[in-house]
Amino acid sequence: MLVVMLSGCSLPGLAGTSQDTIKIGSLTQSESETMAQMLAILIERETDAQTELVTKLGSSIVQHQGMQRGDIDISSTRYTGTDIAGALDMEPIKDPDKALKTVKREFQDRFNQTWEETYGFANSYSIAVTEEFAAEHDIETISDLEPLADDLRFGVDNAWVNREGDGYEGFQETYFDFGNVYPMNLGLVYQAAATGNMDVVLAYSSDGRIKEYNLKVLEDDKQFFPPYDASPVINNEVLEKYPKIKDITRRLHNEISTEEMQELNYMADVERVNPRKVAKQFLEKNNYFENDQEGGG
Amino acid sequence: MGTIQEFINYVGANADYIWTEFYRHFLMSIYGVLFASIISIPIGILIAKYGKLSSWVLAAGSIIQTIPALGAMAVIMIVMGLGTNTAITTLVLYSILPITQNTYVGMKNVDKTVIEAGYASGMTKFQLLRMVEIPLAVSVIMAGIRTALVIGIGIIAIGAFIGAGGLGAIIVTGTNATDGTPIILAGAIPTAIMAILADVVLGWIEQRLQPGKTA
Repeated sequence: MLVVMLSGCSLPGLAGTSQDTIKIGSLTQSESETMAQMLAILIERETDAQTELVTKLGSSIVQHQGMQRGDIDISSTRYTGTDIAGALDMEPIKDPDKALKTVKREFQDRFNQTWEETYGFANSYSIAVTEEFAAEHDIETISDLEPLADDLRFGVDNAWVNREGDGYEGFQETYFDFGNVYPMNLGLVYQAAATGNMDVVLAYSSDGRIKEYNLKVLEDDKQFFPPYDASPVINNEVLEKYPKIKDITRRLHNEISTEEMQELNYMADVERVNPRKVAKQFLEKNNYFENDQEGGG
Repeated sequence: MGTIQEFINYVGANADYIWTEFYRHFLMSIYGVLFASIISIPIGILIAKYGKLSSWVLAAGSIIQTIPALGAMAVIMIVMGLGTNTAITTLVLYSILPITQNTYVGMKNVDKTVIEAGYASGMTKFQLLRMVEIPLAVSVIMAGIRTALVIGIGIIAIGAFIGAGGLGAIIVTGTNATDGTPIILAGAIPTAIMAILADVVLGWIEQRLQPGKTA
């Protein structure tokens, strides 16, 4: 009884009371919240809709379910590789363009949602070493590590070791074995590399700590890891009601490189700047608030 | 010392953000306890009048209380989806026991001779309830609401995990940062302050409502 009563309405002061509130869902990671804030700022500026953020969602699957239920209208960041395996339950696709085309088509057909163009950054698994180590041994690509691999200590997060497809087993088939593998909590991985306890680590490419600990991401020269390009996903009903959102995502398309996202994540994760301020600063710096509509290009 | 300084810096730089979440957190807690009161006070009065039901109702409330709040919230989320309403509904469930129980005890403790005196002077059942029993029980009921609100402020903090925001969201942000202790404190300390303030203010109201004092 109460459930029906409550779920039907929104309470004064908490949620947007009108139909004109667009709910944007974001993950726990700072980059997801930062992008949600950027979308919120731009949507409120360019349309007459209100926005509400639904933050700290546990995973892409939670975002996906929330969108299907209508709890959220927009997912701020979705990653091609993650959703091909998760929401779509398909085999990994290595080619980034093909992966993007696939999710766009499948989300349109299956879920009546639009997978927009990518922001330009990817949050993928990557292999990283310290800058000093790379300079000393002249290493640019993952394959460059092969001659040294037997003596190297490889620090990885617990989940990746047992992951099928793009986990360590698949890595060994495509590349080589490391002499010693140390599974650990992801939070420790970056520090372990920086302090010299590990020689090589598995990192997330857009994480600001890559910069903080002065790590170098090696090129995946055999294209082992599937692409994890980040895009917003929007329910078609919202897009029909507010066609201007299409312009907003177009203006953000390819505007943030992985390096830039690292810097934004660094601000949020290490310098403790609020994601809303990070978003605002980025938009100001890149002239999104100028009156001409083409300002972002 | 460094952490305290960084905490002060963080609070200084994000005062408006912390205030927004504080307000949101406060509203969710108040709504939850308000809805719980609307449900629980009548239930408490009913079970005080029809004693046979009381053990069942109070047992049901106790069973709800044993479920971890995070688990309950996750289950309610499956039905109600993400957002503030789910957090509020969870809080309503957890507030039912303290408010019902206190209403029940408050009503039961009203001196029988006073009720008889009222009855003898020609009061109807409803007049008795409104003019004698409830005024005598109200401070005990208030104590239940106070307990519910203090517990509730803690439960709402978990709401961050289901997208409800609030001060819990600041704490979660802190757990993801490299050295997030200042951020965690910026979420945790206001939560504690809110709970203490709620306790003090409602305690004061409870005192004022005590029978025999001029309210």
